[in-house]
Amino acid sequence: MAPAKGRWSKATAFAGRNGVLIAFVLLVAFMVGTTSTFGTYQNLINVLQQNSIIGIIACGMTFAIVLGGFDLSVGSVTALASVVGATLMIDLGTVGIPIGIVGALAACLIVGAANGWLIAWLGVNPFVATLGTMTVVRGLIYVATNASPRFGVPYAFTTVGLGRLFGIPNPALIFLVVALLLGFVLHRTRFGHYVYAVGGNPAASARMGLKVARVRFAVYVLASGCAAVSGIILIGQTASATPQAALGYELTAIAAVIVGGAPLGGGRGRMAGTIVGVFLLGVVANGLNLFGVSPFWQPVATGLILIAAVAFDGFSKRGGFSSG
Amino acid sequence: MTDAAESAPEAILRARGINKNFGAVVALENVSFAIPKGEIIGLVGDNGAGKSTLVKIISGVLTPDSGMIEFEGKQVMFASPAEARAGGIETVYQDLALAPNLAVWANVYLGRELTRGPKMMHVLDKRAMVANTDKMLKRFIRNVPPIDESVELLSGGQRQVVAIARAGAWGSKLILMDEPTAALGVAETKAVEEVIFELKRQGLTVLIISHNLDQIFRITSGVWVLRRGRAIGYRETARTRPEEIVLMITGAPTIAGTG
Repeated sequence: MAPAKGRWSKATAFAGRNGVLIAFVLLVAFMVGTTSTFGTYQNLINVLQQNSIIGIIACGMTFAIVLGGFDLSVGSVTALASVVGATLMIDLGTVGIPIGIVGALAACLIVGAANGWLIAWLGVNPFVATLGTMTVVRGLIYVATNASPRFGVPYAFTTVGLGRLFGIPNPALIFLVVALLLGFVLHRTRFGHYVYAVGGNPAASARMGLKVARVRFAVYVLASGCAAVSGIILIGQTASATPQAALGYELTAIAAVIVGGAPLGGGRGRMAGTIVGVFLLGVVANGLNLFGVSPFWQPVATGLILIAAVAFDGFSKRGGFSSG
Repeated sequence: MTDAAESAPEAILRARGINKNFGAVVALENVSFAIPKGEIIGLVGDNGAGKSTLVKIISGVLTPDSGMIEFEGKQVMFASPAEARAGGIETVYQDLALAPNLAVWANVYLGRELTRGPKMMHVLDKRAMVANTDKMLKRFIRNVPPIDESVELLSGGQRQVVAIARAGAWGSKLILMDEPTAALGVAETKAVEEVIFELKRQGLTVLIISHNLDQIFRITSGVWVLRRGRAIGYRETARTRPEEIVLMITGAPTIAGTG
């Protein structure tokens, strides 16, 4: 009786820790088993191509959520990078490519600095601060562009969005580099450690001499930086300045991070979890598509997965049905 | 005002004429007192007597409006808790002391992390910190909690023991404690008190705020009483009784003279 119970509780503990990963593996197995198309090279490349932009945003979002906040402005910031970068490239031609990249990054980092300043030093709630900048930035983009896209980005730049290296889409390679780099920063460096400390107990962190405001500021600049990278890749995919780009990406990124095991309360979460979360949502979207389900069902699926993941997390923390 | 403790040559900390107002509210009025070196000293008083304000001034959280503080014979004025800590004064709070999501070793090293490799990257040297934490805590604690466990999985008593041992391990000379056992049960309080005794045995000085007079009489060798922002007096614990301290706290006329 006792050993069986021990084995059972060990199994549930393992499932509790790795629930998302198990769900992801089961989902992939199901897709491979029930469709002939899912496992093909072309489809897997599609999944990578479609989820890299959200994935990069989600990497930055992981920092914000572990810190105990989040960043609603990243969708608008992605569009800002796309519009600023593409406009410079269109107007200046091929020489405008590096200028466009630098300009896009600079514009986005200014928004990130504004978020960080509002949250870290003025003490504005992250929801309010980033909802504000999200709306302001999107509005300014519409004012500046009259809400209409512009085309004519130099063809060479589409390599960034559509090209491949060793058969892997360049956006996926950039996502891989960003994820590895930021995973290292979050889990191995002192700065990442401080993000966890501030997310866990800001008052104790301040008492132990941590520069809490600086950590918060840096995290929001980083989140905007990730959105900038995504926006630059987007230029490479669309070859245009797109004011309506990345609408709602902030919520998809937050959903991916939460599904990946980082609760909104802060102090917890792993970069690897975020990556699994991104691809779990991505494979579900891809699966609906392969089964011929209307794309309108996709947000329904995302929402249900989000709720199920959080409910399962709470359930396994309470230790199952009995002690609920 | 010629209390024994104030004129004692062996005081680790001396304060003279401390005043602190919050707007129209007088929090501390001409407070002079001293903490004898190497002892556990109590600080008692009713709610609003100014105990926490005094501790915050000593630990650099607040600056007094006037007055001076001498620490180890040198005049000091700490502008922040970090400065006080660098000077050898550490504070242990009832709560807010540890980050619950971090492991024991990470809390012990919070703000003082060891890093390795290229200097700019600040890569954490977890192995060294885990190994050192074990040694540091063993100096003060008999049953060291699991170093790699999140603090939130420890009991309240274990957490407080870790917080106190952390203060001692970092070479503090004076440790201020604001109600360190207020939230703890009997057995856990005993474990915390054992660590406080261990600090004294190793030559550190402890100033402890407590509402629990039993505890004050159990662990301190002297006690300061504050009332409505004034330092009413100092008593050696061995030469007073709880009844006298209660009278001093509540403001009824004191029976005994100064020691």
